[in-house]
Amino acid sequence: MLVLLFILFGGLAIGCAINVVAQRNPLYCAISLIGVFMSLASLYLMLAAPFIAAVQVIVYAGAIMVLVVFVIMLLNVEQEEKRRIRMGFLVPAAIALAAALIAEVSFLLAFVDSEPLQRSDIGLTRSIGPALFTQYLLPFEITSILLLMAIVGAMTLARRTGELSPRARVVPGDQMLALSEIDPTTSHEEPGTIEAHTTSEAARVLGITDLRDQTKRDK
Amino acid sequence: MDQVLDIILRFVAITVVFVVVLLVVAYTVLAERRILGFIQGRLGPNRVGYGGSLQPFADLLKFILKEDIVPDKSTRFVYFLAPVIATMAALMTMIVYPFGPEVTLPVIGSIQLVVARFDVALLYVLGITSLGVYGIALAGWSSNNKYSLMGGLRSSAQMISYELALGLSLIGPIMLAGSLDLGQIVEVQSAWHGTRWLIIFAPFSFITYLIAAIAETNRVPFDLPEAETELVAGFHTEYSAMKFALFFLAEYINMFTVSMLATTLFLGGWNVPFADVVFGRGTFLFALVSVIGFLLKVIFFLFLYIWIRGTLPRFRFDQLMSFGWKFLLPLALFSIFVTATAIFFFIGK
Repeated sequence: MLVLLFILFGGLAIGCAINVVAQRNPLYCAISLIGVFMSLASLYLMLAAPFIAAVQVIVYAGAIMVLVVFVIMLLNVEQEEKRRIRMGFLVPAAIALAAALIAEVSFLLAFVDSEPLQRSDIGLTRSIGPALFTQYLLPFEITSILLLMAIVGAMTLARRTGELSPRARVVPGDQMLALSEIDPTTSHEEPGTIEAHTTSEAARVLGITDLRDQTKRDK
Repeated sequence: MDQVLDIILRFVAITVVFVVVLLVVAYTVLAERRILGFIQGRLGPNRVGYGGSLQPFADLLKFILKEDIVPDKSTRFVYFLAPVIATMAALMTMIVYPFGPEVTLPVIGSIQLVVARFDVALLYVLGITSLGVYGIALAGWSSNNKYSLMGGLRSSAQMISYELALGLSLIGPIMLAGSLDLGQIVEVQSAWHGTRWLIIFAPFSFITYLIAAIAETNRVPFDLPEAETELVAGFHTEYSAMKFALFFLAEYINMFTVSMLATTLFLGGWNVPFADVVFGRGTFLFALVSVIGFLLKVIFFLFLYIWIRGTLPRFRFDQLMSFGWKFLLPLALFSIFVTATAIFFFIGK
């Protein structure tokens, strides 16, 4: 029964993985990759590691692949078109290296003796939880700092470059008016965006008393 | 032989749960239309059957018989896959909720009133919920329609933002119960004659969970991505007939799931206060009262959903995102902190 399930999920994983590189539409590749992760989660379940299986689904299939799918959608990545294969020598090289890999794995499976793990509750949450905070505390904290570094790096890269004047503040959701829109006499050296919640507030900041008075605006 | 009987029992359990879910969801749709009507000073649909009780079947017939329009330039495979993913992700979470206590029946023996009881049930629920995002994102993209794409992306962004607050708000009850197993969490709440509900010990977690769950299910006041007046109909603009019905169904099943999770974690699950004094544990009447109590609590949450829909205006999208990240996430973290401190000082584990 277990062997049957292993063949099913392993085959599904391999099939989806081949599909990832064989598809031309990038969204189909992403969906196939999600299929790979779900098959892997099922294989983890069969190895009596339910926590890892659940976390695999939550993190990989549920968060990382969502990000990838977002990127594909937002950037509107086009379908790959069929091209002539350049660097044709790579295909026989790939076949040779794949043969070497298969030979190594067969050798390992046939001749290397390994005992299966005896303890069966090592994958449960109640084993992982305490171990994560006592025995493996240092890797845990370092991983947290690594994630913090990634977040800070992303924020730094996505920040607007410092071309706005020190007076300008960008507040999402509130009105942002370009100074040259209201007062056409401003020069374009200083970008001069201002923060205002309504047009009348912006007018007040700029010292324009009556917005409806066209003569005053065109000064 | 024993294994075969076990598998048959599980199939029966799955069928029963499936039918119950579909019926509850169908009548939730009717209840929503009628209650919204009463809130807005009008009657809802009350012509089909007594008080409108056959309206869901009329709707089902309408959905089946409608013309199925598929947009020409859409990506066919993904277009058909999206409602399937949405409905599958909504239905797969049904199997872990305990509907009642263990009951001893005369012929079959002792059965558990839950389809599947395993160790990481709560993580499983979170994982499947995060897969539900794909249904909406893929639907929005594959329709080849600007409004759908905007609606789909907004909805996905909203869902993944509020998933964080949702997950963090669940840590309070997990700490109090000491397990991720939903059956164990309900059994912890059986103490003090079934009144030791976890909402007493983790009220902040409850509030955070409720708000995050309403945002997760794309309901008012967080329903900008599918608002009719904003984005035509959001991500399900180009879906007609049965596929639209599947999205509709998926949304209401998600509501049902979230209500069941709230009941299980915070309101004591199937524990009816003082039912074990009156009936005695393990008897059939106790189980019956517990199941009815569970369903009543879930119906209360569904009513709360509908009530909020009839009362509150909707958030603008940037207000929604800043609320999720700048208010709800710190509140969830604060709730973990408060619960942990309370456990440390008062329960002393």
